[in-house]
Amino acid sequence: MIDTSLKILTVDDSASMRALLLHALLGNDFDVSQAEDGQAALEWLAVNDVDVIITDINMPRLDGFGLIERLRSGGRHCDRPIIVLSTESSDEKKARARAAGATGWIVKPFDAQKLIAAVRRVAH
Amino acid sequence: MSAMDPSFPSTGQVNGRPLTRLTVFQGQCRVSAGPRVELTTVLGSCIATCLFDPEVEVGGMNHFLLAEPMSKSEEASVDEHYGVYLMEVLINEMLSQGAAKQRLRAHIYGGANMHAGMSQIGSKNAEFAREFLARERIQLVREHLGGNQARRVDFRPASGQVRCRSAESSLLTPNQPVATPAISRGEVELF
Repeated sequence: MIDTSLKILTVDDSASMRALLLHALLGNDFDVSQAEDGQAALEWLAVNDVDVIITDINMPRLDGFGLIERLRSGGRHCDRPIIVLSTESSDEKKARARAAGATGWIVKPFDAQKLIAAVRRVAH
Repeated sequence: MSAMDPSFPSTGQVNGRPLTRLTVFQGQCRVSAGPRVELTTVLGSCIATCLFDPEVEVGGMNHFLLAEPMSKSEEASVDEHYGVYLMEVLINEMLSQGAAKQRLRAHIYGGANMHAGMSQIGSKNAEFAREFLARERIQLVREHLGGNQARRVDFRPASGQVRCRSAESSLLTPNQPVATPAISRGEVELF
């Protein structure tokens, strides 16, 4: 049987935020995996497939901007949609993410239904 | 009622120069490394979290209320999304001023149940704060929570010193409805 679930990777250093994301996304025919920073995300992506990446910006080791830049620089995930999910809402930060190749930006605290709708929209 | 660092200075001066006192209102957070800055707030059911990084001597305080008073028959519920957001804003501001998450030490104050017979909203706010810090592995070094009295908290962010005293309830600003951030909640922008 072919698995048609959308594969989503969430990247956030906050365990509390990861729990909220997992609770919001599960049960919507999503296959959800989670990484605690950009470096852990790259390591996971080296051996797994993904349909949509949702990433925070402020993280240790490799932040969200660095993750987007690394993914867009080449490799098999270079065209995957990347949604930034951040407490930040400044135009400067959004412009930087957009220039790096982000697909969209969602401001925390997130609304679960808006997040799910955005994930479905960018996945197709 | 008091809970304070025994070394908390009794004067309003540092090295002969006056302190700058900054009030942290509900829904706000402030971070500073200023040696003559004192962050202050008055709490009823609300919680104030004070974070301090002793290595870079920077500290910050937030002030939040995640559950509203409900009628006697209704159960107050905590707006966890908003709580995590307010904590994350404080932590991110600390990190932007040189703090490291693994070095953070936390104090939490407040969470009084001010209205007998109403839902225990102070306890619910306190429970959220404790659980958040445990989940994020941030060391909780002092707490003064519960009861039915208002508290005044003074925090010197550059030294991590805290003083918590009982306060007159008349000093409390009326609780606003659970505040939504100035930003639209969950605003989605596709590029």
